[in-house]
Amino acid sequence: MTQTTSAPPPPATWSPPAPQAAPPGRQAPASRTAPKLGPIAAWFDGTPGRMRALLIALAVVAVLFGAAAAQGFRSSDGALQRAEDNTAQLVRIQSIHTNLVSANADATNSFLVGGLEPPAQRQHFVDSMTTAARLVSEAATAQPADQKALGELNSTLLTYQGLIEQARANNRQGLPIGSQYLKDANATLQADSLPLLDALVKANENRINTEFNGVGRGNAWLLLGGAVTLVVLVLGLIWLARRTHRYVNVPIAAAAVLVLLTVVIGGASLSSAANAAKDTQDQAYANTLALSRARIAAYDAKSNESLTLIARGSGTAFQDAWVKSAKDVDDQLAIGGTTNRTLQDTWSAYKAVHVQIREDDDKGRWDDAVTKAIGSGKATSNATFTTFDKASNEQLDELSETTQSELSDARDGLPPIGWLGLPIGILAALLIAWGVSQRLEEYR
Amino acid sequence: MKKKRLIAASLTLLFAATACGSTTYEATQIPVKQTPPVSTPAPPAKQDCTNPLQSYAPDPGPLSAPGAMPTGSTMAKIQAHGRLVAGISADSLNLGSRNPISGKIEGFDIDMIRAVAEAIFGDENKVELRVISSPQRLPVLKAPRTPGAVDIVARNMTINCARWKEIAFSAEYYRSGQKLLVRSDMKAETLAQLSGQKVCAPAGSTSLDNMIKANPKVVPVTADTDTGCLVLFQQGKVVAITGDDTVLAGEAAQDPYARITKAPAFSAEPYGLGMNPAQVDFVKFVNKVLEEMKADGRWKASYDKWLGPSLEVPAVPPAPVYGR
Repeated sequence: MTQTTSAPPPPATWSPPAPQAAPPGRQAPASRTAPKLGPIAAWFDGTPGRMRALLIALAVVAVLFGAAAAQGFRSSDGALQRAEDNTAQLVRIQSIHTNLVSANADATNSFLVGGLEPPAQRQHFVDSMTTAARLVSEAATAQPADQKALGELNSTLLTYQGLIEQARANNRQGLPIGSQYLKDANATLQADSLPLLDALVKANENRINTEFNGVGRGNAWLLLGGAVTLVVLVLGLIWLARRTHRYVNVPIAAAAVLVLLTVVIGGASLSSAANAAKDTQDQAYANTLALSRARIAAYDAKSNESLTLIARGSGTAFQDAWVKSAKDVDDQLAIGGTTNRTLQDTWSAYKAVHVQIREDDDKGRWDDAVTKAIGSGKATSNATFTTFDKASNEQLDELSETTQSELSDARDGLPPIGWLGLPIGILAALLIAWGVSQRLEEYR
Repeated sequence: MKKKRLIAASLTLLFAATACGSTTYEATQIPVKQTPPVSTPAPPAKQDCTNPLQSYAPDPGPLSAPGAMPTGSTMAKIQAHGRLVAGISADSLNLGSRNPISGKIEGFDIDMIRAVAEAIFGDENKVELRVISSPQRLPVLKAPRTPGAVDIVARNMTINCARWKEIAFSAEYYRSGQKLLVRSDMKAETLAQLSGQKVCAPAGSTSLDNMIKANPKVVPVTADTDTGCLVLFQQGKVVAITGDDTVLAGEAAQDPYARITKAPAFSAEPYGLGMNPAQVDFVKFVNKVLEEMKADGRWKASYDKWLGPSLEVPAVPPAPVYGR
């Protein structure tokens, strides 16, 4: 027997303790051989290390893209939502304004009648004040930023209503001091309440414009994020192709396509939402705004008509105010466009009666003028004005509903990238991880 | 540990970046209320003439028949206009106030106007009653004499030298005096006892000048009309009102918690009808009308109806003084 003392052949299953075989967590030998490298530095050492760095960088960029896309969509969606909310708030504030000037028109008109007010007019006054009070509390809940101003408004309304009731009580007893209380009430409304409402209207209009402009801004997040991500992914692909001598890393390319699709679809839908919002701003919203302004100016004119008569000949200032308000109504109705044809007719009918009232008063027939101003017959100021009031109110309701529903439609039309953005980013990151680990395998 | 912190930090960053959904707005700006400048009442106008009560003596002979005014006269112009335009008060009870029930303006001042209209037109209803405030009394009379300008002002206006420089007055048609109205629970009887307290008088009135003269230590508060003072009084913003006894009587009648003090009037307030200084013929005409009213009992009837009950003083029509 020849003793072959040669080393026994290595068993087929034997393998030297190679670092590849060890689970990544047990890299201890490597660190022992190269003590100057920390465990993390070692992990990023050499080509596989650089690939790992690339994986992390690309994955982070992909996730960030997802976040940016989500942010873009949420900002557009939020802007639309806020535009809708603020429009509702503006309509509410203008409704408060309308109710107040309408109540004041009732109060001044019934003063011409004397202590015995027409019950319907009194009821209309009460209804208007009640509606205004309810709307004030609604508006305060809807927009916290308006709370302080609305609180202030509320306190002026308390004063106003108190003075009106005192005027009525005195009028009812036939005491001339009632007229002074009415004058003070009117002054409170004009000098204290209406400036607050103007400030509220202005603030809300600004908010609405800001939000309308902000609808398109979400696109910036999406496009910028998408462009940066695509550039980084392409650079990563080029780098990988050079190192590995393979043309295309399919999973990473798939991630790039996913990003591209998100940018294209998301961008298109955001642009269309922004355009829809712009259309609403230019049409339905602009018309709503114009019509509510017209109504407020109309009620103001109506109050001034009564005040001119109450002043009995020294009411030139009130008549001048009437002319100014009436011009505002004409201007605002003209903005409303062709749909307001019938509305313009009802307004013209009222104006015609007013001209007659002025003619009577200017020619010294004060009693005739007052009869036309306080009566409820066909050719009276009250009757023609009520027709205009009803018609314009209906149209305003329609317009503000259209504005709301258009904005809400634009919002509903957005794809759910606000929620899907981050998952899309994570999916792209996983694809990248998969793609890079295919190449990493080759170093095992 | 480090990793956990890193994850936590990046998550926070992520949420911060995506959670821009709820924007809070800047609070709506409350408009700054323009407080009207504290009106320091103008110093009392100088009264430098010998006898302000002197007016223009009416022409001898009876008045022209109603509806036939002498050609070229101011009255003819008024007749041509179709109505007498009068500046009046609509809220001084018993002098000129709007009856809330009938809607008509009525009172002692208004009766004077209607008498003038009766003399011009033969119809006391051919008047246009234009409601004006105290400070408007002189400006409306000085305005250019265009058709429709105020011809005559009957708004409890005191005749004095300063006003004579701007307008013309009729002869005195009533002698009033300034008194004090206080809360019914106050013990004060005179202005002297109200130092440091707020007292109201209409802006641009002689009452305001007299009050400051009587006691410079009271805090003057003004309103546009006498009734404006009563509102301030009822709201507790002033403790007293000073003014002509006629006006105060009307105010006390509207407020059972107001009391006119027993102190005697501290000024004499002769009332005259105001007219444009250039229309002397009209002043003479009005003076003749007033003379007739005082003579034929119309003056007394009006006084008994409006002022007698609340003033509780017998009516004595003031004698006219002429010589201007």
